[in-house]
Amino acid sequence: MAEVSAQRQHAFRVLMRRHMPRALRVAERIVRDPAEADDIGQEAFMRVWTHAASFDPQVAKFTTWLYRIVLNLTFDRTRRRTFQPLEDAGDVPDSGPHAVERLIADEELRLLNRAMAGLSDRQRGAIALFHMEGLSGEEAANAMNLSAKAFESLLGRARTALKANVQKIQQTGSHV
Amino acid sequence: MTPEQFRQLAETWGGDVERWPAPTREAARRIAATAEGAAVLDQQSRLDRLLAVAPEIEAARVDRSSFLVLQRLAAIPQQHRPALHQRLLRWPALVPAASLACSVMVGVWLAGALPYVHSPSDPLSVMSGVFDVYAMGFGSVQ
Repeated sequence: MAEVSAQRQHAFRVLMRRHMPRALRVAERIVRDPAEADDIGQEAFMRVWTHAASFDPQVAKFTTWLYRIVLNLTFDRTRRRTFQPLEDAGDVPDSGPHAVERLIADEELRLLNRAMAGLSDRQRGAIALFHMEGLSGEEAANAMNLSAKAFESLLGRARTALKANVQKIQQTGSHV
Repeated sequence: MTPEQFRQLAETWGGDVERWPAPTREAARRIAATAEGAAVLDQQSRLDRLLAVAPEIEAARVDRSSFLVLQRLAAIPQQHRPALHQRLLRWPALVPAASLACSVMVGVWLAGALPYVHSPSDPLSVMSGVFDVYAMGFGSVQ
């Protein structure tokens, strides 16, 4: 990061190669649109480049700082939306022959993605950081700029809402 | 920790006690060792595994996004580079010029301040000076 602060493009390219996937993953998990996630990932790294001098490794890890940038961009975008698009997620690509287990897993994922669509962006963000990215509760709270207690509450509500949505989908066989 | 508290924590943090907040872990491990506790954790672990599945991000997509970032950076106009006379007037560029000017001034001052002594140039004086020097160098008792 010191080299990126010194505006060295080679170091920045290495940084992007290493961390762009996590920016795209988290953004996509929240906005559920790969094209929009790509925009967010690119904008996040533009900010990394322009604000590199303000990054202080004593205060936070680079990944925590990056997650915070990605989440802020994502929440800003979704806040500006006039409506929440009804979910079209859940279509797990079906390529080639599958084992029965794979089909079951795909079906579960489809169900889960539908249920995720019924959560708020912040709830999806909490799940993405803690479960998908494997951050500790403290790290995830830090990345979301929340207290540990507030993050615990957010994550608990997210999981509860998710289970309720799954049950609703299973009962009605429709979208949430 | 009561079984109800254990269940609530499991519903919040999932089926892996080691990822729960540090102050709760020790008590949670004791309950997790019971059959009821293990069943609660199993149930949550299944959901954890599904939640951990990440969207697939292809390498080509990463490369494309990285390339677009670099392209956007290249499109940002470079900061205005100062003209040559402005760069020359900056303090670091002035140090050698100032040193040279000081040397010239000191030289001129010395030339003006010291008395001019005209050394004798007739052959006799020159020879006498040379022999005096040799007399001092070789003839003196040392």
